Amino acid sequence: MSMVPSNVRNGLKTNLTTITGLRCFDIIPDSVPLPAAVVGQLDLTFDTSMARGLDTAEIEILLIVGRMSERAGQNKLDGYLAGSGSSSIKAAIEADKTLGGACSTLRVTTATAGTITNAGADMLAYRYQVEVIG
Amino acid sequence: MAIFMGNQVAVIVGTTTISTFVSSVALNREVEAVEITSMTNTSRNYIGGLEASSLSLELFNDFAAASVNSLFEDALGTKLNIKLIPVTGTVTATNPSYSMSCYIGSWQPISATPDSPSTASVTFPVTALTKATS
Repeated sequence: MSMVPSNVRNGLKTNLTTITGLRCFDIIPDSVPLPAAVVGQLDLTFDTSMARGLDTAEIEILLIVGRMSERAGQNKLDGYLAGSGSSSIKAAIEADKTLGGACSTLRVTTATAGTITNAGADMLAYRYQVEVIG
Repeated sequence: MAIFMGNQVAVIVGTTTISTFVSSVALNREVEAVEITSMTNTSRNYIGGLEASSLSLELFNDFAAASVNSLFEDALGTKLNIKLIPVTGTVTATNPSYSMSCYIGSWQPISATPDSPSTASVTFPVTALTKATS
């Protein structure tokens, strides 16, 4: 299998849209309605196996929740960060590990805390790393 | 053919090509040294004995029908014909094939860690090794 980047990004977006209330983008939008997840670009490592069988990609997904000052934003973030449950980013992405046939398998490897400035305000954000093999 | 990358090796088990599941392959040709040192020798003296070659494979495992796991697990305790071609494609004098009979004395149906795909790392003794150029 050789991954088609647009299919992988579309597949990740599709999986993330199963989380109620989370806006999902597979392209970086000019303005971001919150809470939102933005599927980033693929960092590819070619030739994981012989004869163009498998490549490996690292993809960053940016989760933006709300203003740093909002308690509701922190509460939402706790649900997204959980390893399981209806709001879990990891569980939603790994619910279909082949992304509808776009890859062989994937795994959400890390979630790193941070902030992002949106419309002049500091927002709570997390950067998820997803390893995709296909 | 000049120097070449090792990412296109064809690995054919019986009639099934499994190259896309192979992340590493090494055919180690070795002939045992039989010592014939005699009284008049001033250094140890050897002649070639029996060939004791081996084939090492690193594989991504797959339990699908007729795929990697069933090919090797079903042959446990018997021999499999395996063919290698340095660069997938036509066998020539500069891209010779190596055909052999491998004794499948061991297999790893499960070899896994939480952060990587399931793999199998195996080494098989080789008999009846032949090299072909067409």
